[in-house]
Amino acid sequence: MNIISVGVNHKTAPIEIRERVSLSEVQAKEFLSNLIDDGIAQEAMVISTCNRTELYVVPGMAEVNGHYLKEYLIAYKNARKEVRPEHFFNRFYCNTARHLFEVSCAIDSLILGEGQILGQVKDAYRIAVETQSAGILLTRLCHTAFSVAKKVKTKTRLMEGAVSVSYAAVELAQKIFSNLSMKKILLVGAGETGELAAKHMFQKNARNIVITNRTLSKAEALAAELGTNQVLPFESYKEHLHEFDIIITAVSTKDYVLKEEELQQSMQKRRLKPVIILDLGLPRNVDPEIGKLKNMFLKDIDDLKHIIDKNLEMRRAELPKVQRIIDEELVGFGQWINTLKVRPTIVDLQSKFLEIKEKELERFRYKVSEEELRRMERLSDRILKKILHHPIKMLKSPVDTADNIPSKVNLVRNVFDLEEQNQLKQ
Amino acid sequence: MDNIMLDNAPLFLLAQLIPLLYMLSTGLYGADFFKSWSPAKTYKQPTLIISIVTHIAFIGLLTAPEGYRLNYSIPMIMNMVALTLAVVYMFIEFSTKTDKTGFFVLAFAMGAQLLASVMLSASPGGGPAFSGLGIGIHLLAAIFGFSAIAIAGLYSFLYLLLFRQIKNNRFGFLFENLPNLEVLEQLIKHAVAFGFLFLTITLLAGVIGSAQSSEVINIFDPKLIALVIIWMLYGASLFIRRLFGWDTIHMAYLLIVLFVFITVLVVMMSIFSPTFHGLSF
Repeated sequence: MNIISVGVNHKTAPIEIRERVSLSEVQAKEFLSNLIDDGIAQEAMVISTCNRTELYVVPGMAEVNGHYLKEYLIAYKNARKEVRPEHFFNRFYCNTARHLFEVSCAIDSLILGEGQILGQVKDAYRIAVETQSAGILLTRLCHTAFSVAKKVKTKTRLMEGAVSVSYAAVELAQKIFSNLSMKKILLVGAGETGELAAKHMFQKNARNIVITNRTLSKAEALAAELGTNQVLPFESYKEHLHEFDIIITAVSTKDYVLKEEELQQSMQKRRLKPVIILDLGLPRNVDPEIGKLKNMFLKDIDDLKHIIDKNLEMRRAELPKVQRIIDEELVGFGQWINTLKVRPTIVDLQSKFLEIKEKELERFRYKVSEEELRRMERLSDRILKKILHHPIKMLKSPVDTADNIPSKVNLVRNVFDLEEQNQLKQ
Repeated sequence: MDNIMLDNAPLFLLAQLIPLLYMLSTGLYGADFFKSWSPAKTYKQPTLIISIVTHIAFIGLLTAPEGYRLNYSIPMIMNMVALTLAVVYMFIEFSTKTDKTGFFVLAFAMGAQLLASVMLSASPGGGPAFSGLGIGIHLLAAIFGFSAIAIAGLYSFLYLLLFRQIKNNRFGFLFENLPNLEVLEQLIKHAVAFGFLFLTITLLAGVIGSAQSSEVINIFDPKLIALVIIWMLYGASLFIRRLFGWDTIHMAYLLIVLFVFITVLVVMMSIFSPTFHGLSF
């Protein structure tokens, strides 16, 4: 039984190609149904995100290979002009499993250790289950992948530390203030960057977020989205600077929106209680001289990038640990696959012995009482169980490699004279 | 006096075990802080509790033949300093739910205990021993008070260190592992409050103890004057922020200076004023 994976991702293809082959949830369902209905796949799953579209297929026909699946997807997306098979990666069997494990725990991601991909793999599995294209093999593969991701998350630091500017801003704020829910936050600018920072703050329980923006309606819209409904007119927000513990600025401006003397006055009103100003604007929104004020922490994008670089370095250092976890799980998965290969022989073996038992008991059916027959049946069951214990244990032996399974299966089949028609389908 | 350690096997064993337990506790707190080793995170607090309980049992066993009277020899005081540092730290850890600074405090406790163990093994006796509940509380509270002051100084140092790291964009190991500034500020406050509380108990118990004693205490004894000055300074430091609008940075500098001043003062007093408030022991 083979598992093939083919796909495009940020390592194999540029963004325009990745966009060309991506599948929406509806398309993914239709595509999976086609694969099953056409007999191309016994089992199939597709992961489609902004960075990757990957197929995981247990072939249904001998001619189905990686190339076949690439062509099938290109044809389905009607993208023969733009997308070529060279844009795809192609993996088989254990390498497919390793790839899915690496994807699930985000070491194959553009941003190492990003947290979204596991949810996307779970979504892909859900879609496969809903379209009934996930069988025993993909189910086991996906559940092992989820377990790998969980182990990586709990046993390594791969997902720790901020790796985006807006999240680094939150991390820095938390290194000064212990409880963001008790702090008053001012967001100057309701653009994309400010919005992202405010949302990260909100996720860390910051609820007292006040928004100011040149266009008041935009500030009101973002405040409503966050559920704070607190806005300040852009013309007058500086009168309230002393009330805020954290100030985030993210506006497009040529001149500084916050100047040294304004902050000096606000610090006096605050009786020197610490303030952090996160200047996420480019060009900078805040006069750098403000950073020299007492108890004032001013950080711009370059400063925050120091945190990001340090966190990425720390994440990279965790890669050997992650690979060890993946290797361990891969061994377990390989052993489970091997037990699949011996399962028909075990079933045949049990059936043959049950048949013998039934035949032999049948000869005594009218010669002994009901009670005695039941006793004989129980005795036979016990003897069969003991006789079969060792051969089944030997077949299921976890130390086997894929290579020696056929010879062992053949040995058992020859010794016990098992019929050939049920033999293992490779 | 015979060496009690050599005559009493359990006492001898405990004397060897305690420094090992302190080393283990410090090692576990260090392994958690520097290496984020998960077994260290799990076992560090139980190990610290076992160390403290064992230490108390040791002191009980050591002082039992003399009616549980503590000898205030230098090794015994160092022994008590190790214990009180560990106990005060444990209270702070429980009360603030912050366990990331243990290594720094326990390293001092371990050092004090190692020296104390070496010195106690050689000569467990010596030094004045006092009777009476009042004087016992007076001396124990003084040791607890100075331990809390030492911890406040240490936390103040960590606060300044982290403050500078953030200001100068050095987001390295300490930035990652130390508690945030607000928590460190809280730890300083707790340590100062503990220190002030114990110094107050020291003074009150001293007054009660002297009232019960038939001997006349020299109220101009430098140790006594120093204790009152220290008590007033720490008391003031509790309110200085509200009174003068000082920020934590200035408080941290003050507490470090106070800690250094007190340490120098105590050493000087021990050298130049070896008597106990003029009492004849």
